[in-house]
Amino acid sequence: MTRNEILSQINEIFIDTLDSENILVDVTTRAIDVDEWDSLTHILLVVAIEKHFKISFKSNEIQNWKDVGEMMNCIQEKGI
Amino acid sequence: MIFKLKDTFEEIFTVKKETYEGFISVFRDNNPLHTSQSFACDKGFKGIVMHGNILNGFLSFFIGERLPTKDVIIHSQEIQFKNAVYLNDELRFNAEIIGVYESVNVVEFKYGFKNKDTKIVAIGKIQIGLLT
Repeated sequence: MTRNEILSQINEIFIDTLDSENILVDVTTRAIDVDEWDSLTHILLVVAIEKHFKISFKSNEIQNWKDVGEMMNCIQEKGI
Repeated sequence: MIFKLKDTFEEIFTVKKETYEGFISVFRDNNPLHTSQSFACDKGFKGIVMHGNILNGFLSFFIGERLPTKDVIIHSQEIQFKNAVYLNDELRFNAEIIGVYESVNVVEFKYGFKNKDTKIVAIGKIQIGLLT
């Protein structure tokens, strides 16, 4: 899967999970940039991403994410 | 992680008079479907229909009291009502873990309630978080 395809799918997951049609994330997007992205919705996002890509993260992996780009790096490291 | 994929849980719940009356007393849903025998029968039911959300109370009990840890919080739940529940119905509740997300301490269950005729009265999913 290309990086653009992953980003596009992540964006759909953000829209569904955060229930906001207007979200458009890119590799530099951080939680502070998205109103609905708080500590609880972060958990829901991680679960949705794990389900969608059929992967599992470790807690230390997700703690290191600073932005969507690092989230994507982690997804790609799992062979997606 | 104390929860494992495909772990199952069972419980029997009975819709008792005090639960039904307590629900009406607290939430004031006196819709005739829930309070009038003649109305409910006219609509094709065999008696007064219990409030579906009484089952959500049973779900709350299951999550809060029956799991192997009290360090839990419900993130989300969904329920689909399939058949009516009547006063004093005994319901067999089954739940199975369908997702364990260790990175964020989340566990997901699917569940169902069946009545004594083994008819499914409700099904759904619950996602919980484990408090650290």
